[in-house]
This record gives sequence, structure tokens and C-alpha cells, in this order.
Amino acid sequence: MPDEGFGVGASLLRREDDRHLHGRGQFVADIKLPGTMDVAFVRSPHAHARIRSISIPPEARGRVFTAADLPSVKPIRVVSHSTGAKSPPWPPLATDKVRYVGEAIAACIAPSRGEAEDLANAVVADFEILDAMIDAPRGMRSSRHPVHEQWGDNLYIEHALENGDIDAAARAAEVTVTREFRMQRQSGAPLECRGVLAYRDHRLDEVVLYASTQTPHTVRVALAEILDLEERRIRVVAPDVGGGFGPKARLYPEEIILAALALELDHPVRWIEDRNEHLLTTAHTRDHHYKVTAYADRQGRILGIDAEIVVDAGAYGLWPQGPYHEAGMVARALPGPYTIPNYRAKHCTVATNKTPLGPYRGVGRPGACFVIERLVEEVARAVGREPNEVRALNLVPPDQMPFTTIGGMRLDSGDYASSVRLCAKLLDMPAVRARQQQGEPDGRRIGIGFATFAEQTAHGAAEFAARGAAIIPGFESCTARILTDGSVVLMVGIQSHGQGLETALSQVAAEELGIDPARISVRHGDTESTAFGFGTFASRSMVMSGGAVARASRMLRDKLCRIGAHLLQCDVAETRCAGGMVSGPQGSVTIAEISKVAHLRMDGLPQGVDPLLDATATYEPGISTGVYSYATHGAVVAVDPETGFVELLDYAVAEDCGTMVNPMLVEGQIRGGVVQGIGTALYEEIPYDETGQPLAGTLADYLMPGAAELPAIKIGHLHTPTPHTEYGMKGMGEGGAVAPPAAIANAVRDALSAIGAEVNETPITPRRVLAAIQKAHRR
Amino acid sequence: MTAIRLQINGAAVADDVPPRLSLADFLRERRNLTGTHLGCEHGVCGACTVLVDGAPARSCLMLAAACDDREIRTIEGFADDAVMQALRRNFHQHHALQCGYCTPAMLITARDLILRRRAGSEREIRDGLAGNICRCTGYTNIVTAIAEAAKEFGKEPANA
Repeated sequence: MPDEGFGVGASLLRREDDRHLHGRGQFVADIKLPGTMDVAFVRSPHAHARIRSISIPPEARGRVFTAADLPSVKPIRVVSHSTGAKSPPWPPLATDKVRYVGEAIAACIAPSRGEAEDLANAVVADFEILDAMIDAPRGMRSSRHPVHEQWGDNLYIEHALENGDIDAAARAAEVTVTREFRMQRQSGAPLECRGVLAYRDHRLDEVVLYASTQTPHTVRVALAEILDLEERRIRVVAPDVGGGFGPKARLYPEEIILAALALELDHPVRWIEDRNEHLLTTAHTRDHHYKVTAYADRQGRILGIDAEIVVDAGAYGLWPQGPYHEAGMVARALPGPYTIPNYRAKHCTVATNKTPLGPYRGVGRPGACFVIERLVEEVARAVGREPNEVRALNLVPPDQMPFTTIGGMRLDSGDYASSVRLCAKLLDMPAVRARQQQGEPDGRRIGIGFATFAEQTAHGAAEFAARGAAIIPGFESCTARILTDGSVVLMVGIQSHGQGLETALSQVAAEELGIDPARISVRHGDTESTAFGFGTFASRSMVMSGGAVARASRMLRDKLCRIGAHLLQCDVAETRCAGGMVSGPQGSVTIAEISKVAHLRMDGLPQGVDPLLDATATYEPGISTGVYSYATHGAVVAVDPETGFVELLDYAVAEDCGTMVNPMLVEGQIRGGVVQGIGTALYEEIPYDETGQPLAGTLADYLMPGAAELPAIKIGHLHTPTPHTEYGMKGMGEGGAVAPPAAIANAVRDALSAIGAEVNETPITPRRVLAAIQKAHRR
Repeated sequence: MTAIRLQINGAAVADDVPPRLSLADFLRERRNLTGTHLGCEHGVCGACTVLVDGAPARSCLMLAAACDDREIRTIEGFADDAVMQALRRNFHQHHALQCGYCTPAMLITARDLILRRRAGSEREIRDGLAGNICRCTGYTNIVTAIAEAAKEFGKEPANA
């Protein structure tokens, strides 16, 4: 594959590193424009209240903007074509009612953030406090505390999925396992919070918005609609973005208001989210409730799964996809990569007086994986077998690929059971079992647990159309341009916020053009310089944008060869484009020379060939329901039965994402995802009290994993290229975060097996472990 | 306003600052030293770590007015520093950064660990990084990069 050491398959070091290592990255808050004023928002202190009045001190007039001051701003409204989906309008600044703590009410403008906050504190809103709806399972069908009055209940959408005959499975079952599971609400918490800088460019007659976003093009689509402005008059730029992980792939009220203010005022305005605002207002994630039964035979073969799923989606739907997809994805992913023949899932997505729910690495899959893998573990215990034997018994075997699961996921390729074996080997399972037998001198209990999953990635038109999405992220684009000196610029519609896509995409072009990546620039995240694209989410960027880069590069290569053949006086079929030149039987000509002909000396062009080396291509994989990576994760824990504290001793991932364009970057994504998944498993949680107040507003109460409590993450690879993409690559950005809650919960279960305690709720905090132990003792 | 005179990256600086201005905002907004990042502004994430009189400190928790007569060193001020050069090289080679937001402060903390001879084992390095959150990398590669950089300085750290 890598014939020049820098193309597809090479662990090329990152071009992004140098600027960050010297503190020269350019994040939104780093951009200085003369005359910029800072914005602070007045936010709701209540979960649910009617706004009686907003009073602004006389001296603050003209510097405080409420909804009434920006009448041209329309509400955010998500369109869904799913049957029965309800979509509430969301005014970017609250009008008559507030529906979660942190909802924006007014924007205050001052020369510094501190002074803007002083203004915000001087604004007095008079509220009529209403009962908060915070219990999703209990309140979803009730009209007593409606989040949106006109609905009559609190359901965004409910749906049922049934395949096979679950009642027959129940009758045939020799083993029945029923459990309730809970995955608590959390934050995505990139280290850089959100931020927006907006100004009016009078020369170009446009409003320019710098935003910490994963999706600049679709933010522009929304701004045009909501502000009633032609798209040509809006430019959205995502500069360096300090982590995204999903929450930054949505439109937010602040982006709309800053753009509206920039149009209203004749100076730049800037809003830099602080961490408290982030924890209150940036999309929350997870918050799933489950009640699930697994039916199995005496061998541990799972005959059927019957699931009830409730997703607590918060007060509004985030644009563009709304709150609808989380539960749907959970329902389809829940049967995992298994040959389970019968399945029923009822799922409800519920409006509550909490922060709107959005995507976060893995979306519904960490919950789905948690549930099915805990059940596999419990079925194994019920039939008295090693969980990995039961796992292997139920996994889709390679000779049945492609295989459509009972949840409707079309797994394209791979040997799933071999990932289980590889993972067990990476953890040296016999040694762990021996240590377990021996016992710990400090009284702690050792446990080992696994979880296997399939990760739908790079899904496109078919998948999103089936979900009822009004905006279908079904392709990516690349404009590839060779300049007069033979250097290359790739302009892509995606956005890179740490993944290393500037490096990886340059490798794809290098592979196709035979040009050193050092001579290739990658531009992304700017609606001005790139063709339309959807951005970076859904583990799609390498497959989709990489595919577009490959195609555009090939279009240029064909043209280079045609011009080269003319210059070399040979047939095009005899030419080869590699090593920075086009070569024929008699000699070669450099790409720089061909570029000169294409731009500056067009008298050397062959007949019928136009000047310029500039090509735009789009790409969607051959199958738009997604290509499937998979992995088995394994965790070794030590649980202290006295304190409930869980220490993670070892962690391993055995994964298969097909062809790796840059294995170093792949491993970076895996490790980062795993540690975020460990956060979900053990630490991260935003609880709410009964009045709807969120109880984690700082990083002192919202705990993220640090270096000190983690082991090094081990990785093993399997390689099954998919037939449906360029080079056989599969997306893999999210997978790392999918399995840790399941693997760790199974390890804790294993550690406490003698006590008979299990924890079926994340995060697995010492308090929850102790409660589980006490419950087991009471039995 | 409070008048302060201090050294920033070796240069003498004088300014009048509002009493509530943090050192981080002073560096970023008034001195344009934007390599110092803000991740929480309440002293947990560590992204704003700079050196104050040679020791790592949270610039978000320190007031600019309290920095009179002090020496501040930010990520922009290590051009000729041998330990920092080794760290930068190893962070690059071991893919120890992704989005780059935590990186400047991570480097400053890592350099301090090496100089204080607290980077001799994985355990030591991990404990030493307890005050710096990275949300992207999962830390494995950061720990490796620091360990490798530390090896280059054997027993006696080079001129720091």
C-alpha cells in the first residue's frame, strides 16, 4: 500500500502539532478584532417558569437585548418527517416561558466580559414559577406538568420495533433474565467551551461568524432561515476547535443571537462560553432508562430481547436533527452484533425541564451496548458458563456476513469472535483469573469484564432518510486545486477539531497524486473556501471526506496525465503519476511544470484540455446505511467492598476498522474515546434535584477522568477492509466511547460475584457500588 | 486600577489593571499571549497553567494585580529551553495531542515534573498530571512522551 511512506497506511506525524505545541493555535477566543464588545447572557435560574416581566435599568438601555429587541429573529424549529414527532418552537431568547435552568433570556453587551456580567446581574426578570417536569418515565404521559402546554403529554415521539416472534421466544426460553438499567445524564465537555465572534463585513455585505462548531455549513443554512438572510450574505468559520465530540455539531441560540447583534450593531460582538454555562446549556447526553428481558436456552443462546427504552431529552430539540434519534439508535443497536432472532423494543423520547439532549461520542450506542452486554453477562451466569463463551456462541460468524441484525443493522464484514479472543489475550485473562483465585492482601476484589459491539459509521442518505430527518448528511465534498508551482490545496466541507484530519486527508491526496503531503494544504471549517459539506460527526469524516479527496485527486491526476502525455509526446495510457511527476516511456515531467502549463503557459496544453487544475468531487460510500467497525473491550478492576471504590487496573481494545489511513491517528481516536467512555462508566454525571436544578455546575462537581486514575490503554487490531468504501476504510471515531460502561460494569459484576452484587447504573460511583453490595446482603 | 510592573517571558511590562482582572485575562486580552487557554476558570482543568516565579500556577485563579514584581513565563516564552524542546519533539512523535487546547499547559506542567525529577516512572508522571485535564487523548501518549523526554535528561536536567 504505502509505496512512498506517506500515503494510505502510513503513521505520518501530524501537521497540526507545531502550532499547538507553541501555543499558536487559533481558537475563537484568540481572535482579536478592533472594537469587539463582549456578550454575557441573562439566563433562567428556574427550570420552569412564566416570565411576567423583564426590567432593564435605565442606564443599561441599548446594551441589553431581549427577544422584543430582536423581532426579526425567528424561533429554532426542527423539522422531522417521522410519524407522530412533535417539534416545539424554541425562541433563541425566551419570550413568555423558560423551560430549563440556563435558558437564555437577554444578551448584555459591554467592553469586557466582567462588565457584561455586571449588566446581566442588573437585569431583573420576574417569574411565576411552575412545577418542573423532571421524571421522564413517570411524567411522559401526564398532562399535569406539561413542558409544552399544547401537547397534552410530554412525548416528543414514541415508537415500537418488532421483528420475529418475541412471545414465542418467551415460551421457548429455559432462562429468563430481566433487569432495569440506567445511564445518567452527562456532558460532552470538550476542554474548549463554545464561543462565537460575529461582525459585519461591509465590503462584502455579509455577516461573518467565527464559531466553535463542528458543522459550519449547516449552521449557515440555519442562520439564513432563522434570520431571513440569503446564505450568500453569511460566512461561518470554525477556526481551531478545542474538542467537539458531538455537542458542537448542533445549532445553538447564542450563534443566532450573536449574528443578529452583529447585524444590529456596528461593531464585532463576542460571546465566550464559560464552564458553568457549558454544563448548563451545551447539549447534555445519555440519560436513558431501560427495562429489558433476555430469553435464552440452557446453552446461553439468546432467543429474544424485549426492551422498553425511555430517553429523557430535555426541554427542546436541537437543530437540525432534534431529539428523535437517540432512542431510535438505541433501539436498533440494542441487539448488538448477535444472531438474536426475536426482538421487541418500545421507545419513548420525553420532554423534561432539563437542558436539551444532543449527540455525544457514540450517541445511543453506549447505552445499547451497556444493556445487551450486561445481559450477555447475566445469561452466562444464569447458565453457568464463561461470559465470553456465551458471547462467541451468539456473535454473528464471519461466514454469515453480510448479516442484518434483528435490530436492522447491516453488518458488512469481519470476524467478531476473534476480537473477543484477541482482547482476552491482551489482558492475559488466565493471569487475571489466577490472581482472582489467590485473593488480594488488601481485601479488594478483582474482576474482569468484556463487551463487544458493532459501530455503525459513515451512514448517509438511506440511514438519515429512514430516520425522518429533514436534513440528510449524505455526502461530503472536496475541491482539490493544484497551484502554478505544483503545490496543492484541498478544500473540504468537513471540520477537524483534534482528529488530525488535516494530516490524514493530505495522505489520501498524496496516495492518489504521488505528491509529498508536505506540499499539500488542507482547508476546512470555512463556508467561504469550501464547497458545501455537513461537518464532522457520526464517525463519517475519513470515509466520506477521504472518499471525496480521493475522487477529486483522481480527477486532477487524470488531467495531469493528459497534459503530461502531451508534453512527453506519449500516449496517456503509458503515463504514471508518482513521485511528484508524470512519467512516460521516454522520460518524465514534474507536476510543477505541468501546473505551469495549465495556468501560465496554456500554449503548451493539448487540444481539448482546458486550463486550471481544479476539481470538485462529492462522495458517499457504496452503501449508505453505514459501514460497520467492531471491537471487543475488556476491563480489569479492583473493587473495594468497604468503600465501593473501583480502580481500573487494565484496559484493552481489540478492534477492526478496516483499512487504517493513519494507524497512529486511529489509535489516538480509540484511546481518547475509551477514556471518555470510562468517564461515562465511573465519573461523569449531571444530577437534577426535584425542582429541576442541575447539581453539577463546575468541574469540581462534574468529574472528568484524569491521568492519575487511568491505566495505559492497550490496543490490538484486526483488519477486514469493507468492500463499500475507498481503500476499505470504516469510520472509527466514536467506537472507543461505546463499550467502556458495559465492560467496566461487567468487570465490577465479576469482582462482586461472590457477594452477588451488580451495578446496572452509570456512573458506577462508590455510593452505587455500596448500595448494590448492601442490597445483595439483604437478599 | 492597580499599577503593576512585572516580567513576562523575560521582558519588563508595566500596566494599570482593574482589581478583578485575572492573570489569564491579562495575558490573553492585554498581552495577546493567547497560548494560555481557559477551560474552566475555577482552577480544576489546568489549561491556564503558567509559571509564576518559576513554579506552575493557575493563571485563572490569580489576579493580575497580585503579580506586581513577579516573573511570568507562558508557553510563548520557552523558545530556547532544552527541556521544552525535548517535550515538544516527543509530544509530536508520540501523538500526545489532538485538539491542542490542553497542550501548552500540559507542556509547562510536564517540564516542571522533569525539572523536579518527578517523571521517573509512569506512576509518578500520571500523579504529576493530576491537575491537567486532557479530554482528547486518554493520556497514554502524553505519559509516554513525557517519559521519553525525561530520559533525555538523565540524572541532571539540562539548563532550565
